[in-house]
Amino acid sequence: MSSFDVGGSTLDVSWFLLLAAILFTLGTIGVLVRRNPLVILICIELMLNAVNLTLIAFSRQLQNIDGQLFALMSMTVAAAEAVVGLAILVDIFRVRDVEDVDDLSEMSG
Amino acid sequence: MAAVIFFVAAALAVIGGIGVIISRQPIRSVLSLVVVMIALSVEFLLLSAQFIFVVQIIVYAGAVMVLFLFVIALLGPARELGRGRLRFQSWLSLLFVAVFFGLIYAMFQGITYRQPDKADLSVFGTVQSIAVGLFTNYLYPFELTSILLLVAAIGAVYLSRRDLR
Amino acid sequence: MSNDVLALLILLFPAAGALLLAGRGWRMPRLVTQIVGPGVVWAAFIVTLVLFFNQVNGDFTYWTWIKSGNFELPFNLYVDNLSLFMCLVITGVGGLIVTYSVGYMAHEDNPSYARFFTYMDVFIFSMLMLVLAGNFVFLIIGWGLVGLSSYFLIGFWYHRRTAVAAARKAFVMNVIGDVGMILGAFVLFVQFHALTFASVFQQIDNPGQCIDLCAIPAIGDSSTLELAAFLLLVGAVAKSAQIPLHTWLPDAMEGPTPVSALIHAATMVTAGVYLVARMHPIYDVAIVAHDAVAIIGAVTALFAATIAIVQTDIKRVLAYSTMSQIGYMFLAVGIGAYSAGLFHLLSHAFFKALLFMAAGNIIHAMADEQDMRRYGGLWKQIRFTSVFFLIGSLSLVGVIPFVGFFSKEGILGEAFSRPGTLGLAVWAVGFVTALLTGFYTGRMWWLSFWGRPSATRPVEHPHEAPAVMLIPVAILAVLATAGGFIQMSALGFGPTLVSDFLQKVVPKPSWEENGTAVVVGLVTMVLGAALFVGAMRIRPWSARVPWAQRILEHKYYFDEAYDAVFVRPLDRSADDGYRGVEERVIDGAVMGAGGLAEAGAGSLSLTETGYFRNYVLVFVAGAVIVAVLLIARFAT
Repeated sequence: MSSFDVGGSTLDVSWFLLLAAILFTLGTIGVLVRRNPLVILICIELMLNAVNLTLIAFSRQLQNIDGQLFALMSMTVAAAEAVVGLAILVDIFRVRDVEDVDDLSEMSG
Repeated sequence: MAAVIFFVAAALAVIGGIGVIISRQPIRSVLSLVVVMIALSVEFLLLSAQFIFVVQIIVYAGAVMVLFLFVIALLGPARELGRGRLRFQSWLSLLFVAVFFGLIYAMFQGITYRQPDKADLSVFGTVQSIAVGLFTNYLYPFELTSILLLVAAIGAVYLSRRDLR
Repeated sequence: MSNDVLALLILLFPAAGALLLAGRGWRMPRLVTQIVGPGVVWAAFIVTLVLFFNQVNGDFTYWTWIKSGNFELPFNLYVDNLSLFMCLVITGVGGLIVTYSVGYMAHEDNPSYARFFTYMDVFIFSMLMLVLAGNFVFLIIGWGLVGLSSYFLIGFWYHRRTAVAAARKAFVMNVIGDVGMILGAFVLFVQFHALTFASVFQQIDNPGQCIDLCAIPAIGDSSTLELAAFLLLVGAVAKSAQIPLHTWLPDAMEGPTPVSALIHAATMVTAGVYLVARMHPIYDVAIVAHDAVAIIGAVTALFAATIAIVQTDIKRVLAYSTMSQIGYMFLAVGIGAYSAGLFHLLSHAFFKALLFMAAGNIIHAMADEQDMRRYGGLWKQIRFTSVFFLIGSLSLVGVIPFVGFFSKEGILGEAFSRPGTLGLAVWAVGFVTALLTGFYTGRMWWLSFWGRPSATRPVEHPHEAPAVMLIPVAILAVLATAGGFIQMSALGFGPTLVSDFLQKVVPKPSWEENGTAVVVGLVTMVLGAALFVGAMRIRPWSARVPWAQRILEHKYYFDEAYDAVFVRPLDRSADDGYRGVEERVIDGAVMGAGGLAEAGAGSLSLTETGYFRNYVLVFVAGAVIVAVLLIARFAT
């Protein structure tokens, strides 16, 4: 049930899922460990891409187009979110040079 | 044959991913991400998602990543220096993420997939099938997404304007 | 109008007066207060007269207050000769005193004036409720309200610290008595499962017919009734200022003189006597408690008379005299001579109210001076009041033909004639007390009215009191003079109207008064009169026995003893309680709860580090943990 045929060879959907899991994990580590705000945004994009991969893999396995449509929407939203996030970042950078996201910790206590 | 393509693309993606999180300079992270995206688009192709494959390259790698590059160019190169203030952050993060990954891996062992819906594989993932789904079943989300993009564009313009005093 | 309505009217008139004066009295012209205040009391008196002349007897129920299973508590009024007798005294003498106070309190401003009469009407109402109540609950309600009115009236001039302290002392001691009363009622309720007088007395008299827990053995053998009788006696002792709960009465003289006349001579302090008389079925069975009544009365009579000897304030002499005379009444009802005791109640009301009001006239004339050593020579200057005071004094000493002779010798005669040692013992005490009474009354009279005017007199030419203050005094003087002739059992012949009237309710003494008693009574009178006349000739003995003088002046150190044993330890324990419990425990708990919340919030706010990466980590960690739990749940 989990394998499907692509141009002669058989692929198993679980490989794709594993790949997506690895990428997602890498993205999470990046968000947690890196301190440059830009890099954090990039790692978020990585996570979103991993999710897209999962969606499309399942879409193929279940032979339902909805997964791909969802991935399409997800891509759109990711783009919008990246745009707004970067705009905010630019705004902050106008005031001060942020190299370390830990510097933006006024909302504490 | 397809398996080989799969593994090559997968290897590229993983290397790119590692590159994203390791690079000291943000521009290198962006470029690593581009590599990941292109690798992923190949994966999409293997999964009969032709339209998505193209969209990924054109929109994601072509537009969004370029946007990132522009911003990095605007803001200047920045290097992360020092060890950072949070002492336990890295260890705890790795711990939890490891647990998370282990969880997902463990899930694979017992998964049973349901019966696939019968779809016509010859037109699966083509522009026509995407269009059919997008403009009939999912018209409403489609329109909303366009509004979302509009809002994002307005927001970005507003947020990044210079203060007119 | 039917009798039950009339009986209720006796209560309603003073209640209405009190409400009217409390609500609008201070805004209305003074004349309204002057009419309503005494007027309602006189109205109640007239209604009482109507009931008296029609010889009404009945137990009137108006509505049922408590209904619980088989138990019912009605609001009922018990009208019999005893309660009518008391009502006549309360409304009659009370009416005279309230009228008198229209003049005495004239110096007050309108609101205070109305307040005074409000309190007086409340008092009259409460006292009437006390004597008319048909069950223990309303008796206790009246009892408590009377104590409350006394508090209001003693502390009427509330700007004076001494008055406020005296009022508080009176109230506290009255409450001690109230507790005894209530406990006594509890005991009776447990025993008889009923609270109306009719029901309780019927069960005592007819043990075979009792409803519940019927264990009334023969006379003298009922410990429950003894207990109840003693507890009720506590209440009587507190209200009537007998030893040991007597210390409030002299201090109560801080109140205005009409208050002293009404409450602390004529009515409230006699409530204890009424109680014993009303509860005579219980006391007839509980003979130990009954004897205790007589002993307490006799001891108090002597004790108070000794203290009266050294008093310098005219009202204090009269206060201790009151304590002593009530001791006589207790003595009488304690040995079983109920009618004699109640007749003395009536006659004492006459002459003591007379004495207090006449003293009030003097105090009024002497610009509020109460120290007798500063009087002197008033006989020549305020003749009417002096005459009235003399009548009252002679009545107090017990000289023929005044009513005091007939009532006091009536009691002593009954005691003398009673078979058994108790009778003779209390007679002996009463005899000595009568002599002392003669002495201190004489001292009081000679000091105030005779001789040269004192050098430290505040007023050179005192003027006589106005008519509104003289006429009630005059009326009482007439009553004190002529009143004796309605009950002449002390002389062994003549009408005995009072005892005839009362013995329909209270039992007759079981012995006959013998002729020796009459002779002894006359001898007592002569000796007492002699001491009265010769009071000033007895050389001051205080110089010879200064220690006795000191003991008497300190009232046998009762106040000091109570202060040391009760007041100060209570104060200290209250302080300790405040510091130990209130501040530490309660405040601690409250502040501690607040502190706990603060600490909790403080520690929780540590999670708000402000670092974005921390938040993400927590987010991820939480997600992972939830995922683990879910998978663990669904995987097994």
